Amino acid sequence: MIRTTELSRRTLLTTAAIGGAATIAMPGLLRAQAPAIKVGILQPVTGALAYDGQQGQIGAEAAIKAINEAGGIKSMGGAKLQMVFGDARSTPEGGTAEVERMQAEGVVAIVGGFASPICLAASQAAARYDLPYIVDVGVADSIVTRGLKNTFRFGPGFGTVTKTALDNLSKLNDAAGKPAKTVVLVHEDGLFGSGMAKLMQAELPKRGFEVLDTIAHPTPSRDMSNVALQIRAKNPDLVIPSSYYGEFALLARTMQQQRIRPKGIYAVLNGAASNFRFVKEFQEAAQFVMDCNHWHDPRKPVAEALRKQVEASGKFWTYNIPLNYSCVQLLADALETAGSGDKAKLTAALMASTFAGHIMPYGPTKFVNGQNEGGAPVNTQVQGADIKVIFPTDFADAKPVFPVPA
Amino acid sequence: MSTSRAFAPALVLLLLAALIPVFVTANTVLNFIVFTLIIALAAQGWNLLGGLCGQFSFGHAAFFGSGAYAAALLQARYGVNAWAAFTAAIAFAALVGWIIGYLSFRSGLRGSYFALVTLAFAEVFRILANASAFTGGAAGTLIKLDIRPENFQFASRAAFVWIALALVGFTLLLTTAITRSRLGAWFAAVRENEDAARALGVDTLAVKLKAITLSAGITGAAGALYVQYYLYLDANIAYGSWISIEALIAPIIGGIGTPLGPIVGAVTLHGLGELTKLFASGIPGIDLVIYGALLVTAIAFAPDGMMGLLKRLGRGQVTPRTTTPKTTAAKTTTPKTEGAA
Repeated sequence: MIRTTELSRRTLLTTAAIGGAATIAMPGLLRAQAPAIKVGILQPVTGALAYDGQQGQIGAEAAIKAINEAGGIKSMGGAKLQMVFGDARSTPEGGTAEVERMQAEGVVAIVGGFASPICLAASQAAARYDLPYIVDVGVADSIVTRGLKNTFRFGPGFGTVTKTALDNLSKLNDAAGKPAKTVVLVHEDGLFGSGMAKLMQAELPKRGFEVLDTIAHPTPSRDMSNVALQIRAKNPDLVIPSSYYGEFALLARTMQQQRIRPKGIYAVLNGAASNFRFVKEFQEAAQFVMDCNHWHDPRKPVAEALRKQVEASGKFWTYNIPLNYSCVQLLADALETAGSGDKAKLTAALMASTFAGHIMPYGPTKFVNGQNEGGAPVNTQVQGADIKVIFPTDFADAKPVFPVPA
Repeated sequence: MSTSRAFAPALVLLLLAALIPVFVTANTVLNFIVFTLIIALAAQGWNLLGGLCGQFSFGHAAFFGSGAYAAALLQARYGVNAWAAFTAAIAFAALVGWIIGYLSFRSGLRGSYFALVTLAFAEVFRILANASAFTGGAAGTLIKLDIRPENFQFASRAAFVWIALALVGFTLLLTTAITRSRLGAWFAAVRENEDAARALGVDTLAVKLKAITLSAGITGAAGALYVQYYLYLDANIAYGSWISIEALIAPIIGGIGTPLGPIVGAVTLHGLGELTKLFASGIPGIDLVIYGALLVTAIAFAPDGMMGLLKRLGRGQVTPRTTTPKTTAAKTTTPKTEGAA
């Protein structure tokens, strides 16, 4: 008996050793063909933000694959990009630890972070090595106001998003003959929800809206009946929710069940309103919900092709995918310009970048203090089984439905 | 036990650890050591109150966060020198500890009621810090990156290793000294039987207040060190339940009530975490699964912590010991470690 176990264990070990050797040898062979450029991709793929992290990873991986298939970085002899992936574990210290590891493995730059606290800590850790860091989402404006030379944010920050959201809300309401006068704000009590609510409370009255009530709820919340009842009691024309996926999906469903039908639901940076999972799972509740959020440029064929590819693999399309895809493209473009993986040259190339080949609706990049000046959100609305762009009008693929038909 | 024999293991360990940055220059390793030491320090704080004095707290985040916020806000809002802010943060956390202790011990809260009330305090602080504009609300507080030694910011991670090590070492010596002192005897008396201790004339309220104040100061130092190292703080980092759990699980794994327990526990836990991450990087989260499995195994084979396991191994008692229902974890460790007390 003992002999048999030993033999089988030995066989197992041999197999494992051969397999391991093969795995180790493979990248070696690839390296022999072309010198690989290591790119750090940092996403929270475990912990509270795992879903968003996984979505971001899809985008980054797709971009690396596309760039390599198109011949890699031409100015560097067709060098291929090689992903060094790091799991930020949804915490700032998790992100910092991964930055240290990536630096030790010799990455030329890091892309990602997703949540603002992770981006803040990770970009700071990267700054110690002057390692370029491209923020994918992190909307906190403090990310780009710290004077870190290595940090670049491709997408818009909190200030830009809320200003656009308010401007478009006024346009929308004016165009429909000002049917909405009263508002109830619903927000999660974390970083983005509270900040948003405070800003809205200050700005909405200036634009002729009366804020009837501000309702805060924690994340996670398992029951939104009380929030729905409060909304019913106030009977506002507009509901402006700032919550993450689960809570907003729950609120929209509860409002639908209790037949609470305001003239519009206008979300800002909402976790669900421009998420196909929400549209697919709760189509009736999602109908005509508007959102001001990151979104790809529907005019760009690469974006639409990527969306089809992602959907064909059974995944949902979320804004994390085109944002990370574009951030990796931006890095590849900077590598092309710099012609080397040298950190200083790469940082200079990013600072001077005028990259227009990305799939977001931003125009050529222009970084001022690390912030891409062109970065802007769009307004979307769920119409039927699709999410349509309703603002800006020059590339909207649908007209807004407002007020929502009763 | 003679004085030299009691302090020798601690001093040898400290000296060896202090040499690590001389031989290891990889920042990945140094970063891991700093984080582990911060957790160890927070856990040492918990161990002083929970392990030595028998008052189990589920809310050490209240002290960790208070220390962290005091250090961050004094610098970011009032431009106080980082070193002064660090010292003030420890004092502030100790004060918070004294107040929470006074309120709960005066009301006669013991055992699970005390645990619950500490948990409630931490949660209340978290919600307040999250809502208040003074703490930066949910956006948190940033300390400006300005790498200069007078700002308590160093270009080399080794400097942080030594500072963290100095704090952990000081606490280790302090804890060892306490277990050998009259105060340690009072702590043990309160832990083993509070009513009997009071009957014998021990001022239990004063003893418990001393324990919680010291404990809060130590855990507050861990918080202040955290924010000084990562330079960013929000309510969930400062007062989140993660740190309360980290602070109590490290002594439980390492050995409750032993001076070395929290350090051994933190190093074991985080070392295991890093090792599993190293060997299982293919599938995200698989390392956490392995980590969990190892943790369960560790507890099964060492119900009185790593220190207890080491002692049993030393005596040649290798088989897993079956604990009788009567002996609690705290009780089984005490006679062995408190030999002098």
